[in-house]
Amino acid sequence: MKASDIAILAFYNLRRNTMRTILTSLGVAVGIGSLAAMISFAQGITENISLSMENNDIFTGLTATSRAIDPDDPGSSRGTNILSQNKEEVPLNDSVISGIGEWNEVAIAFPIVSKPATIQLAGRSVKASLKAVPMEMGGYPPFINITRGRFFKSADEPRVIVSRQMLQQMKILIEGESDNVGLGGDVLVLPLDSVIGKELTVVTRVFDVSKFSTANPRKNELPLSNEYTSLRIAGIIDNGAFSSGVFNSSDVFIPSKAIDYVPCIDLRSIYDIMDGKIDSKNKYGSVHVRVKEHRNLKTVKFWLEEMGLQVFSVGDKLDDIENLFLMLDSIFAAVGVIALVVSVLGIVNTLIMAIYERRKEIGIMKSLGGTQFQIKLIFYVEAAFIGFVGGVCGVAGAKLASQAASSFANTQIGKIIGCNLEFFDFSWTLALAAILFSVVVSVLASVYPANRAASIDPLDALRRE
Amino acid sequence: MALVKVSNLCKTYYKGDNKIYALRNINFDVEEGEFVSIVGKSGSGKSTLLNLLGGMDTTAEGSVSVGGVNILTMSEKQLSQYRKFTVGMIFQSFNLIPSRTAIDNVKLPLIFSNYPRRLRETRACELLYNMGLYNRALHYPSELSGGEAQRVAIARALANKPKIILADEPTGNLDTATSAEIIALLQMFNQKHHITIVMVTHDKETAGRVSHKTVLLSDGEIIKISTNPNP
Ligand SMILES: Nc1ncnc2c1ncn2[C@@H]1O[C@H](COP(=O)(O)OP(=O)(O)O)[C@@H](O)[C@H]1O
Ligand SMILES: [Mg+2]
Repeated sequence: MKASDIAILAFYNLRRNTMRTILTSLGVAVGIGSLAAMISFAQGITENISLSMENNDIFTGLTATSRAIDPDDPGSSRGTNILSQNKEEVPLNDSVISGIGEWNEVAIAFPIVSKPATIQLAGRSVKASLKAVPMEMGGYPPFINITRGRFFKSADEPRVIVSRQMLQQMKILIEGESDNVGLGGDVLVLPLDSVIGKELTVVTRVFDVSKFSTANPRKNELPLSNEYTSLRIAGIIDNGAFSSGVFNSSDVFIPSKAIDYVPCIDLRSIYDIMDGKIDSKNKYGSVHVRVKEHRNLKTVKFWLEEMGLQVFSVGDKLDDIENLFLMLDSIFAAVGVIALVVSVLGIVNTLIMAIYERRKEIGIMKSLGGTQFQIKLIFYVEAAFIGFVGGVCGVAGAKLASQAASSFANTQIGKIIGCNLEFFDFSWTLALAAILFSVVVSVLASVYPANRAASIDPLDALRRE
Repeated sequence: MALVKVSNLCKTYYKGDNKIYALRNINFDVEEGEFVSIVGKSGSGKSTLLNLLGGMDTTAEGSVSVGGVNILTMSEKQLSQYRKFTVGMIFQSFNLIPSRTAIDNVKLPLIFSNYPRRLRETRACELLYNMGLYNRALHYPSELSGGEAQRVAIARALANKPKIILADEPTGNLDTATSAEIIALLQMFNQKHHITIVMVTHDKETAGRVSHKTVLLSDGEIIKISTNPNP
């Protein structure tokens, strides 16, 4: 007997009790749906959120600052020294920083070098920080995959990269990217082509020897004058509200060697003035370290602290977030498993009811030569159909629900993080696996009822009216 | 050799401490192509005997050998083969599946026997046509008269071309005229198609008229076997 013939017999039975079939399938749908949602959520969190967070330098980045910079730090070499720091502070110079970069857990380490400047572009100006970007950063966000323009070609290329957010601050918009809401009047819309390659002026302050005699210190006048440097725009990045503590949207980025072309007073600490000379032991005030994987963060942080540096990282918080997700996931898992158990009981119940209703029919089938296996097969096919329909509906429902939940969560969390996150990873593989699982579980649930049906005594069944 | 050979067949039902001897030491033969009637009062063990012949029940002592094989010792699988291909059963209450049309009821044994799907419809139609029910094919059992329902049941019993038709009071629920029709049908199949028939009835007069052999049962015992060489 072909399975398709049995399928026909099974469908007759399912159709005879349409309402019960629907309700049973619905039960399966709820069970499979919540299970699928749970798995997609677990996958989504590990695959997308954790990864996207881990890939974002906010969670893999550390900023280590020399205590010498911060006079408020009790351990500072220049501070009050009441609580004297027992750790020998390692000076932040090129060889130390490249040494940190060699650590196995570290992806990239570079000194944070920035110069305060005013940026002039198309007759508008804004205060910004000119920030040195090492060439290696081209492989990391926010510089990886620049869609407008390009990254720097060399460390001494006299070009800059600006952020879309900063252009927006200057009320300069790129044509076709209409988000001038709330900018008010005076908005300048430029085509992308004309912004890329456009020259902007970086205004910096330098000591002016000629003013040393005329500046009046009692009027807080400083012997400084403006220096103008023209640089072309290489590209525009869009780093949203994400900021690593190093590269912010209010920065203008310049290659790490090219920053030396821009003259600027170089005071890292107010104490440099007090001391009357620039701290020579520490060439740099702070270093930015990106670890290869988020899980390396704690180790690297510990080592940097061992070096006597003061370390700041937001990444520590990621563990809390992941724990929260894990907890949500366990709740989902519990709901999914309970729903599945209930739906399996639903199938068993439905099929046992069917045995009672069809007792005589089964007796007739046996009297006509239907084998035990054939009778069982009818039940298996019925269960498989219920499982299939329930699985498909459950997966579809879970997909819709997860999309709704994801977009709701993004209105809440996405606002804070500044980009949309995929909370659910609902792959085709998962969908197919869930449907298959539903069919298999349903068929397993039908084993007991099917066995009971197959072992019905035909004589006994036919005798009853 | 006889097609069916019943030897020393005993069947006991146990009701609590009570023993009911439904069949006691039954011995008789059914030759191939014979029309055999089993008659007797209600409770005399006719159905019990027929169900043993039909492979519906195997819990009895003695032996029922059909074509030389004792069906009482058959495995479940062999039994279903036997019920599928060797015998066709007809019941007093028709036992049609109420949710399926006449033709679907006739097709059911063809499904179980793996009859080629393309030919199933044709075979079922042919059987219904032979029963004079061609225009009732798509009717549900509830839409059929008693006589029509029993003819559908006969068509279904004949579907897999069995050697033996076992009929348990096939006319018990029918009026006299319709009963005569059904008996005539069975007789026709017996005479034209040489199908062996074992029929249970309590109509001694009809049994004696239509069958080659009439087995009279009383209290589970054969008290007389009468023959009619020219039914
Ligand atoms: N399942 C059963 N359990 C107990 N006793 C039964 C059962 N079936 C039949 N009997 C008894 O066996 C005897 C023969 O029954 P049956 O073969 O049905 O008689 P008939 O068909 O001739 O009317 C009766 O006394 C009946 O009560
Ligand atoms: Mg009876």
